[in-house]
Amino acid sequence: MGKPRLQIDLHEAMNAVSDVVQNRPRPIRAIDQIYMKSADMVLQSELVAHWADGKKLAFIGDGDAISVCVAYLKNEKIIDYGPSQITVFDFDERQVMAIKSFAERKNIRHLKAELYNARDAFPLTNRFDRFYTNPPWGQSNKGESVHVFMERGIEACGYGGQGMIVIADDEELEWPKRVLHSTQKRAYELGYFVNRMQPLMHSYHLDDDALLRSCNLFIEALPGNKSQGDSRPIENERLTNFYGRDQNLKIRYIKSTRPLTMEGAHEDEWKPDYYEDIR
Amino acid sequence: MSDIIQPGSGVLYMKIGTHANEDLADIIARKRKEIDDIGFAMWGYGGGTCYPTSMVQPFARSFADRGQPIHLVMHKMNSRHYAEQIRAARYSVDGANWEKIPDAINVLGSRFALMIQDLREHEDEIDLNSTRVAVGPNEGRLGSRYIQGRADKACLIVTDPERTNEESKKIKINLVAELVDPYAVFLSES
Repeated sequence: MGKPRLQIDLHEAMNAVSDVVQNRPRPIRAIDQIYMKSADMVLQSELVAHWADGKKLAFIGDGDAISVCVAYLKNEKIIDYGPSQITVFDFDERQVMAIKSFAERKNIRHLKAELYNARDAFPLTNRFDRFYTNPPWGQSNKGESVHVFMERGIEACGYGGQGMIVIADDEELEWPKRVLHSTQKRAYELGYFVNRMQPLMHSYHLDDDALLRSCNLFIEALPGNKSQGDSRPIENERLTNFYGRDQNLKIRYIKSTRPLTMEGAHEDEWKPDYYEDIR
Repeated sequence: MSDIIQPGSGVLYMKIGTHANEDLADIIARKRKEIDDIGFAMWGYGGGTCYPTSMVQPFARSFADRGQPIHLVMHKMNSRHYAEQIRAARYSVDGANWEKIPDAINVLGSRFALMIQDLREHEDEIDLNSTRVAVGPNEGRLGSRYIQGRADKACLIVTDPERTNEESKKIKINLVAELVDPYAVFLSES
């Protein structure tokens, strides 16, 4: 049982999330980086902070930077609950650098980030109590992308603890229902059960964002659940259509080619058009 | 029902207006000349709904594999899209390997381009209630619902009319072209 949830200062919370959004690299659509909208990030971060209060929390990928919001809200004393330790595992070096840089600037000691691709064996098994993932949504591979990220989270928790999985949710479309079904089936095979689900929670920065939503799927290990073996690299056949139709997982890391310039636009994005009558 | 818009066919629907401070008639004339000169033209576009590698290319390839064409069907409208008149210098099929754009082709102020041929004026109509989104996160959604959001373009499969209580959403089509391999590319100014 976590601490009681008090009313938070929404103004303070939104400004804190705004700081985090300002710190994020721009999304790469080709690898399914589509950012959650800011109001949803505020609510989601508070929810995650309460759910993982006092726990060691692993983020298996985190383009949205919910990890940073969760850590920052507590660090700024906007909420008085949250994880004791947060570690983000992401294959985008820009994200990893942005998280480390933010944690250093804001003196957030319990927030860490590691460069890691979910295809590879998980480096820190059985070190966490909770995991959070908002993976590629597995539309074109029957949810396999979601399963891979969920499995890494389960390994991070040593086949125990709990996980929160953010995946597509839609009342009209068929594929999100199939992915939800296959994900719950895979969780069951690994000794977990669904202990809660929050439908149609989040919207995203997409041109067609008016319709697409995601849900929070909470899973929990059965008491005494046993490990199903060491962490291993993912087999190649599970990487097909990983990011969508014909979009296989081929990139190990997104490497950063520019220094972080979070304070403003990059110089090649703009040019001045001067008044002619002012020197 | 036309020979282009019929159940089972694939279309890339797009609303079009002034682009890059250039009148639509001027754009059409310029693109036709490009097709006459080197056999194809690049039709610039932007936004996230028809991303080249994850949306347009797999959509078009799935039809090409069955020997079916994909048509770009365009609805003229008054909306204005002003972008800088900067000519793209290079294009990329995969976003990683870049090639010079032929001198005969001028594609201006766009992030992406469709590769087209046989561009022509063509009076037709499409009932968006008789289409489904063909690819991407909204795959399977009724075309009218999708376009009703904020989307101004979409990869659609034409279906038999849906039995709904909603009135049909017929949209005039004024201009068509055929997509050619590699269907959609990324553009770069440098």
